[in-house]
Amino acid sequence: MFAYVVRRVLATIPVMAIVALFVFSLLYLAPGDPAAVIAGDQATPQDVERIRASLGLDRPYLVRFGSWVWDILHGDMGVSIFTNLPVTTMIQQRIEPTLSLMILTLILAVSIAVPMGVLAAWKQGTIIDRAVMAFAVLGFSVPVFVVGYLLAYVFALELDWLPVQGYTAFSNGFFPWLENLILPAIALGGVYIALIARITRATMLEVLGQDYIRTARAKGAGQGSILFLHALKNAAVPIVTVIGIGIALLIGGAVVTESVFAIPGLGRLTVDAILRRDYPVIQGVVLLFSFVYVLVNLLIDLVYTLFDPRIRY
Amino acid sequence: MQRRTLLQAPLATAIAAPALAQGGAARTLRVVPQANLTSLDPVWTTAVVTRNHAFLVYDQLCAQDAQGEIKPQMVEGWVREEDGLAWTFTLRPGLRFHDGEPVRAQDCVASIRRWARRDPFAQVLWPAVAEVAALDDRRFRFRLHKPVPLLLLALGQTQFPCFVMPERIANTDAFQQIRDAIGSGPFRFVPGEWNPGQRAVWTKFDNYVPRQEPVDGLAGGRVPRLDRVEWTIISDPATAANAMVTGEQDYWEYPLHDLLPLLRRNREVVVQQRLLDGTYGICRFNQLQPPFNNLGVRRAVAMAVDQRDYLRAVAGNERDGWEACEGVFTCGTALANEAGSEILKTRNIDRARAALKEAGYAGEKVVLVAPGDYPQINALSLVTADLLTRMGMNLELVSTDWGTLVQRRVSKEPVERGGWSIIHTTSSGQSLALPVFHLFLRANGDNAWFGWPNDPEIERLRAAWIDSPDLPTQKRVAEALNRRAMEVLPYIPLGFYWQPSAWRRNVTGAFRAPATVFWNMAKG
Repeated sequence: MFAYVVRRVLATIPVMAIVALFVFSLLYLAPGDPAAVIAGDQATPQDVERIRASLGLDRPYLVRFGSWVWDILHGDMGVSIFTNLPVTTMIQQRIEPTLSLMILTLILAVSIAVPMGVLAAWKQGTIIDRAVMAFAVLGFSVPVFVVGYLLAYVFALELDWLPVQGYTAFSNGFFPWLENLILPAIALGGVYIALIARITRATMLEVLGQDYIRTARAKGAGQGSILFLHALKNAAVPIVTVIGIGIALLIGGAVVTESVFAIPGLGRLTVDAILRRDYPVIQGVVLLFSFVYVLVNLLIDLVYTLFDPRIRY
Repeated sequence: MQRRTLLQAPLATAIAAPALAQGGAARTLRVVPQANLTSLDPVWTTAVVTRNHAFLVYDQLCAQDAQGEIKPQMVEGWVREEDGLAWTFTLRPGLRFHDGEPVRAQDCVASIRRWARRDPFAQVLWPAVAEVAALDDRRFRFRLHKPVPLLLLALGQTQFPCFVMPERIANTDAFQQIRDAIGSGPFRFVPGEWNPGQRAVWTKFDNYVPRQEPVDGLAGGRVPRLDRVEWTIISDPATAANAMVTGEQDYWEYPLHDLLPLLRRNREVVVQQRLLDGTYGICRFNQLQPPFNNLGVRRAVAMAVDQRDYLRAVAGNERDGWEACEGVFTCGTALANEAGSEILKTRNIDRARAALKEAGYAGEKVVLVAPGDYPQINALSLVTADLLTRMGMNLELVSTDWGTLVQRRVSKEPVERGGWSIIHTTSSGQSLALPVFHLFLRANGDNAWFGWPNDPEIERLRAAWIDSPDLPTQKRVAEALNRRAMEVLPYIPLGFYWQPSAWRRNVTGAFRAPATVFWNMAKG
């Protein structure tokens, strides 16, 4: 197991290197010029050129790439072209809201979706099953921003129960933190809940048809015990896989959700940086997201062994 | 159940922070700015949001009042020698920077030198400047090679203001961004609370010495009446509107026009025009490449333009939200005129089609680049796209983002090799009020703004205006400039719209000015 973990961690290095090369090349080839944005309308072409030179953007591709990789290897992600702040500082400022949103969404989604899927499988063909499936279709179909605006309209504007926008750090208290995040988490969780509920239902249906479930029933095991101890544990591997894959959905959805609810997270930082062509920030954030995704997949591989002892690494 | 009681009630007594925040909130103005504050250096970038930050932090030597006149601000006054070859400025006593150091003439000189390296207006005047030097701690002097009547205007302008920084900071190269926002203005920047993309905070500078005159535009007493000004970046306009309605924010600098009716319906929100000038629409041709290197084609498009269509697309049907302005100078200012503007009053698509045919248009491809992430400029672009289609031109509409557009507009290549034919932009009225500011009226070929019109006569008239000794002469030259511009069409003016601001009713002291500023404002 330990050797496997070490091997997987080492395998992330070439993956991250490929991501780095890809991100850097893509940005190099993409249109846009931060120097022109900075200089503004009044600047002469000579002024723009001088700003470009002062930012090091006039250096050849390989020189810039080599310098960036060298800095990354020394733990330096560079400095934002616009704010003059280190990229690591900017990421540190933004990571808490995004992590908070993702964790809350994850907890909310799993705690709603798994019981929903189990219930739908147990009550297959009934109105409960159809209601769960209808909800899943709705969750897939309605865009995050529409759900976000509707929630804000009802719970913030009409009922005045929750704030429309913003983020309060966890250090300022759990309830103020939750107050700002509950609507965004519900909005972001819609698709995720739908996805997990459908997979849970499908896997549970398959497991509930197995012989050992019939044996458990014959032994007189209770319904709850059958569903949650015998069936769900054996259905867990695909569910955990989907939860892991869904992290990518959350990262993508966080960009939209953070914009709708004005949450100062990494998603908005990425969008702002892309619109301004703030290359060091884009590169830093994309690398971070890639690393998180690789790490989550590693964790999921390890979690498999908890649910299925037959899996060995 | 109200919001405060829903989630916070269980811990109301245990959590002290919200109570503290409530106490401070009464003296804190929570602002949704027009854009994200990404740079703190008003010399390094021309971004308006950075200029607004600079008005909080820095002070000016002199400033524009509501009538556009230049009045002393940091200076007590100035003395102009009889021959006009020297100007001596004297600072008011007691001025201090936020780091506690006194403001000295040496700081002013260094700040002027850095600013002059980047301001296009100052660069026009600079060849006439022999020297600017400190005489002592409170006086500095300009020595000139020839009289420069526009010197005060340059120093006191709002378009690219000359802000005063400590000498050690102002000595930074004008093309390098400064890191410290230390000025002598009414508010001090709080770097520890700056989170670009989320928040920027300023606190009252207790040692600021305002002028005693009442506030008048950007001139007069800049009295800080708020303890804190907090900018929260809300990029989504609907969310910003909701935050204004619920009272989570106090002031929204640039509400989207579509959302103004929603805000106006709310009794707790005031919607008013604060900026003195409107925002002008500009349609710019690439005159290096076909088909707009052909004057006849440019004139044909101008004949189809009806400014009201553009302005409705941007600012809606509210009649007080926009106005046609069929000249090249800012309407309502001294130089405004419509000499030779008849072509813009044609407003006839059939005549435009005929003129296009007569000009010899042979179906060359027209690439119109529109920025989808810039609602106002995008709306202007789409109206032109519709016009060109109806005129029968071979149009390719390229929808992209502003960052890509500002790079693509640099290209002088044909459209087949990544060039462009038409772009749109907007400009503040201040920038179009005088020939010396007027970017779109330059017609000096390769050195002109993107589109690169080349017309020696426009350039000759512009130089003549700078040397004009009095207002009547300036007006005559301005009429000749308008007439010439309407003949050769370096661009098509698209009229102007008003950009109101919105604030909660308990915010007081808002006044009209050429820029968004927060002194003299309070919160009840």
